[in-house]
Amino acid sequence: MSNVILINSLTGLLILTSLLVIEVNQPRWSALMYSLQSFVLVGIFALLAYTTEAEQLYLWAGSAFITKVILVPWILYGALTKVGNPEKPRNAMGTTLSFLLAAVALAVSFIVVDQIQLKAAEPFKPALAVSMAHFFFGELCILTQRNLFKQVLGFCLMENGSHLTLALLAYNAPELVEIGIATDAVFGVIIMVTLGYQIYKSLGTLDTADLNTLKG
Amino acid sequence: MTETTYLIWLLLIPLVFSLVSFTARWLGRIGRILVEVAHLVSVTLVLILSLLTVGAVLDSGSIFGLGNWLHVDALSAVFLLIIGVVDFLVGIYSIGYTRHELQTGEFDDNKLSTYYGLFNLFVFTMLLVVTANNIIIMWVAVEATTLGSAFLVGIYGHRSSLEAAWKYIIICTMGVAFGLYGTVLVYSDAFNVMQVPGSAVLWTEIIKNTQSLDPTLIKMAFVFVLVGFGTKAGLFPMHAWLPDAHSEAPSPISAMLSGVLLNCALLVIFRFATISNLVLGPAFAQTIFLFFGMISVTFAAFFMYMQRDIKRMLAYSSMENIGLIVLAFGIGGPAGIFAGLLQAINHSLVKSLMFCTSGNILIKYHSRNLDQVKGMLQVIPVSGVLMMVGALALVGIPPFNIFLSKFFIIATGLGAGYNWLMILCLLLLTVVFAAFFRVISSALFGEKPDSVEKGEANWLTLIPGAVLVILILVLGLYIPSQLMTLLNEASYLAITGDSSQQVAMSMKDFLLPLAHLLP
Repeated sequence: MSNVILINSLTGLLILTSLLVIEVNQPRWSALMYSLQSFVLVGIFALLAYTTEAEQLYLWAGSAFITKVILVPWILYGALTKVGNPEKPRNAMGTTLSFLLAAVALAVSFIVVDQIQLKAAEPFKPALAVSMAHFFFGELCILTQRNLFKQVLGFCLMENGSHLTLALLAYNAPELVEIGIATDAVFGVIIMVTLGYQIYKSLGTLDTADLNTLKG
Repeated sequence: MTETTYLIWLLLIPLVFSLVSFTARWLGRIGRILVEVAHLVSVTLVLILSLLTVGAVLDSGSIFGLGNWLHVDALSAVFLLIIGVVDFLVGIYSIGYTRHELQTGEFDDNKLSTYYGLFNLFVFTMLLVVTANNIIIMWVAVEATTLGSAFLVGIYGHRSSLEAAWKYIIICTMGVAFGLYGTVLVYSDAFNVMQVPGSAVLWTEIIKNTQSLDPTLIKMAFVFVLVGFGTKAGLFPMHAWLPDAHSEAPSPISAMLSGVLLNCALLVIFRFATISNLVLGPAFAQTIFLFFGMISVTFAAFFMYMQRDIKRMLAYSSMENIGLIVLAFGIGGPAGIFAGLLQAINHSLVKSLMFCTSGNILIKYHSRNLDQVKGMLQVIPVSGVLMMVGALALVGIPPFNIFLSKFFIIATGLGAGYNWLMILCLLLLTVVFAAFFRVISSALFGEKPDSVEKGEANWLTLIPGAVLVILILVLGLYIPSQLMTLLNEASYLAITGDSSQQVAMSMKDFLLPLAHLLP
């Protein structure tokens, strides 16, 4: 039982690290914060594996460590170093408002998860709510941040939220399913970073406010 | 070759030829020939295998492969048919188009091999969407279509195309993530009931156990799925990526995005709608479909009218047509779904024709702006005629194919008692008519600019269009019996996941409902 409480509590750390990813001023630091968050996620997977005796979750923890704690942050950090790690442009919405929206997302997630009647999810409802909220934090990051690479980090946050939901609700799905999702996520980051870098090289900007030629 | 091996080859061929194209960049001029030959072989084989698979479905019902992870039934066969035909014709058009881009220096050998590599990869991902039976792999495949095609959208490297590619990847990834949530909820619920993970992930198994699924969870999941995959299908208000990506991509890619990709996303929604129908009854999904269908048609019609950019206008027309398909599913019943599926086929053919022709316009006029594109019938007369047929077909003029499917949708809607909705729909279609009338009157018949020389780019940019015109005319006058059977089976499958209860439909099913309107 104490492990269940620990898992639910650890998801609180995910919220904190998410807010750091979104709000830290230096994008390279955001990449490091994302790595830290992924490390917490790996811990949750391992603890879930131990608690529910779902051995495949150890594999998930291992693959998440390689891809999310090391590979993706390394790709992002490297790309940001190449583009001179520009300070992020001002949050399009303002920090206070985005924190407020994050709180609303968390509340909505708890209400939605409360409706879900699944035996497997019952003890982990707080964690499930956080995973859903996390997904919305990612969306919020994409919508409020004007730096292209911060938007990529928003995608990574969403992906972490989805990954936790999968671990809580679908950990027993065939292994190939998890491999497919993880591969999509890593390729997603690689393609977005490449495209972002191409935009920087061609247009000399990472600010989405400068991408305004297409309207109507 | 057995039916199962058709499926495996169908997926392997575009994947292998994609790798061949990517590696051909290191072979210099020989590489240029190799990518064209590889591409031609790939699109031809995909067409043949698609037709063989559809034929096998007509003969023996569903086909399974790879331990039931792959599955084609009448519903997915309709979409497979679309992929096979459009991929082949647009694939051939691509050869003519890219040859011109090489001549003008827009493409070099590197870009050419990237283009064909990504084109075939994109086709592979769409084939995986329609053949996947595993609902999570279905999601993976939809996400992969975005990743596979984002660079194609931005391949020119211009400011606007890079911007469109960025919006495309960000908005679709954000949207489709909602789809993953819906998918995971359905899987978890199915596992809760079935207790066998390998089965709970398969659509064909889930629909056998719908009586035990939790209605609240399925309701929630369906909303997530609709928002998620609806983003990819270009439904309003999740459509923001669509006009940018469709207008900035190379024209053959615009044709693939509009004619094929949007339909693939719709198929995934329809798969989940079947689950929703069986758990909650058809009213829930139908109401949502009616709302999103109608709102998409409404906004698309007015956006179209405001456009001066031909490709953006066509992009909004795609949104309007996707709206109509969804509206038809909202009307429901076998007749409504039959009409929606026929509209999906017809729209794919016409929109492929229109985007390919818009490519010919760009080649000649170097502009998409209606203020500059004038006198097509003098400058590029064959393309002009193709454009005229496409525009008339899109607005629903007989004897072209879209007239028939639009008529079926309206007739079924009136028959189902949605009189006011159908009247509103007809009014909106007149706005669409007005938008395309401007294209016909200005682009086709206006005075040609002095700076534009007469003459088509090359015959490869015309032949696919001519074939499409023949198909559009044939389907406007006559629906082949095999297609009738396929659509009929697919309509029943979409409602209950089972086509054994089907009753063959004919023209009178669409005319009889109108009888009550007569005095």
